[in-house]
Amino acid sequence: MHLSHITKNFGTNVAVDDVSLNFTQGEIVGLVGENGAGKTTLMSIAAGELTPDTGTVDYTKAGIVHQHFLLVNEFTIAENLALAMWGRDPAEVIRDSGIDLRGFHRRVADLSVGEKSKLELIKAIAGHPRFLILDEPTSVLAPAEARELFDVMRRLAADGVTVVFISHKIPEVLEVATRIVVMRRGRIVVDGGAMSAEQLAEAMVERRSRDVVTIARSIRGEAALQLDTLEVHPGEIVAIIGVAGNGQSELAANLRETLRGRVAHIPEDRARDGLIAEMTIAENIALAEPRWSPRAAARRAGELIERFDIRAQSPLQRAGSLSGGNQQKVILARELERKPEIIVAAEPTRGLDIEATRFVHDELRAAAARGAAILLITSDLDEAFALGDAIHVIYRGRLSARLTPNEAALQAPRLMAGVGSRESGVGA
Amino acid sequence: MSENLFRRLRLSTPDSRLPIAVLAATLSIALLALSGIAFGHSPRELLSILISGSVGSNFALQGTLLKSIPLLLTGLSVAIAFRAGVWNIGGEGQFLAGALGAFLAARYGMIAALAASLIAGAIWASIASAMRLWRNAPEVLTTILLNFIAIHLLGYAVNGPLQEASGKYPQSDAIPMSAMLPMIGDLHAGIVLAVGAAIAAWFLLYRTSEGLRLRASGFNRSAAKWAGVNVNAQLVRAMAISGAMAGLAGGIELLGVTHRLFERFAAGYGYAGIAVALLAQLHPLGTLASAFFFGALTTGAGELQRTAGISSTVATFGQAIVILVMIVFTRRRFGQTR
Repeated sequence: MHLSHITKNFGTNVAVDDVSLNFTQGEIVGLVGENGAGKTTLMSIAAGELTPDTGTVDYTKAGIVHQHFLLVNEFTIAENLALAMWGRDPAEVIRDSGIDLRGFHRRVADLSVGEKSKLELIKAIAGHPRFLILDEPTSVLAPAEARELFDVMRRLAADGVTVVFISHKIPEVLEVATRIVVMRRGRIVVDGGAMSAEQLAEAMVERRSRDVVTIARSIRGEAALQLDTLEVHPGEIVAIIGVAGNGQSELAANLRETLRGRVAHIPEDRARDGLIAEMTIAENIALAEPRWSPRAAARRAGELIERFDIRAQSPLQRAGSLSGGNQQKVILARELERKPEIIVAAEPTRGLDIEATRFVHDELRAAAARGAAILLITSDLDEAFALGDAIHVIYRGRLSARLTPNEAALQAPRLMAGVGSRESGVGA
Repeated sequence: MSENLFRRLRLSTPDSRLPIAVLAATLSIALLALSGIAFGHSPRELLSILISGSVGSNFALQGTLLKSIPLLLTGLSVAIAFRAGVWNIGGEGQFLAGALGAFLAARYGMIAALAASLIAGAIWASIASAMRLWRNAPEVLTTILLNFIAIHLLGYAVNGPLQEASGKYPQSDAIPMSAMLPMIGDLHAGIVLAVGAAIAAWFLLYRTSEGLRLRASGFNRSAAKWAGVNVNAQLVRAMAISGAMAGLAGGIELLGVTHRLFERFAAGYGYAGIAVALLAQLHPLGTLASAFFFGALTTGAGELQRTAGISSTVATFGQAIVILVMIVFTRRRFGQTR
């Protein structure tokens, strides 16, 4: 199987950017990277489910097991297998796969997620693929089930099948893969054999420079935000870093539901949660205010457009027609104008250019200087070190101890990989 | 799935509004006229009957306006609910609840009867929002089922406790004179209330912070939530206002036109409200024109039945065409599919 110079765009988004890869028989390739790095897109192209915009694929008989189940819930195991391979005896198919799945007259709806993923795997193996792609197969499995899956993968590899294993869980990639390919923003950044957990974690997350900037603050008072191990004081910026998918979104959503008072939220998923695309800039800004009159809102939005240097033709322009960076500035303008006591900012500069990023950082610093307690959830380490007075690492839904930026610089890669942490290994 | 459809219906940019609506209206009339061929009439002939029967004389125009009043209110009811992202298909049931409420309060006078119709409609609609909040039951199902319950409740009432004293027909006695709506020329005063309701709905949606939040919840629940809007409260409020509008329509129909309850009282006004609201692209003031259009269509269809022997139910055919055109031709927003 050869992939050469594959590029795939979705709209203006480059999902896969000129990627070439060769696979050899019998290897287990761990394909890792953060969410949105292009792993799944690349493998869907390899499996022939997507056509690349440019580049070529030498096809071999490929099978793919998707992250989401493609099963008919109301059918039994046997019926689902019959759908996939008409005319073969389901009992035989299961036996041939070497996977332990009993009671094939049970309905899929009654199966555990582990059993469902086994069934998907059986479907994929039954076609005798020479190239098998597993997309995040362990995300729903218990540790024992994951181990069982790894055994199946090793056995297939021993029979000469190339197994590609997409994951963002570092320990299991290190355990099972014979070759590791790291993707970031649609490109391959590392392709190699043995790696340490720290090296892998560093390769996965973006880091433009290693400078550690600490900004001393004088204001220290009572904790404004406290969540078991998390404390943020007025005037302080506490950063939470980690590989995406370790509970950051859940934390932000939880804080939205539980925090009361003057709280500003900068949501992580800007496209979905940021602005109401169909409404005007003025209307979006006014959502945070108790009173609304079109004229006052337009005047106010006009001021904020000026102050936050938002590139818009008028306050009555629809928010959805602004560029991503300018949308983020509108959110910032709205949220910071609440004069918040607490700010929860999730990935506030994702996708922004350098100038816009600097602007967002300055605004957050200024808010802290005014006495706001700021919780910054970010996967950009530079941002965490540039802004954070203290840093926590999040891994599988748990926070590390509070670290100073200097401690974090030393320990973060290991903690982000889940190496040497005290937590017990129960999923987030 | 329904979320997607919602998006489509709300998405047109302001400049695309009028052309699509005109297209939908023209197409429905054109198809209606063409269908006349099947009955052995020329499209031209049918068209002229439709027009003269709806706006061709003072008498016809009066009939059209009379039909437009309930359509305007049920149209507003749907527009407000859809704006908030709530599929209230229960206009028919809320209309009946409103009429029933007005009937029961009629002995206390007109104002009490009108107030009762608002409250009864709001309560009937709120049953659906209660089920949504309690068990996450989708309004699109609960409201439509509540329609059937209301229809049979009314059927029971006019065959039982509320049947006329003579016990002859399945209908109630007439309401007292004191509760009847006064006449303005040849029309009852309901027209003032309905137009007033359209202006009030416009003011609510576009000039109050409640309306801003209501629209925000309808466009994008998730973003509204992040901006600090209590979207569940919006849902409850929108549903209650929507129900009140449909209830008022029922009350006005009773107090101004029929003066008594009978089994087929709602006559499809609740469902027709969906077509009215969609043609108006969910804008309260657009509803004024769109209610008039459907009022004319209904009256014109009545004339078709009398002079050409074509069943007046062809009016619902016109409504269906309008709904289909509005759904198919409304532009999607900015290519965002999520």
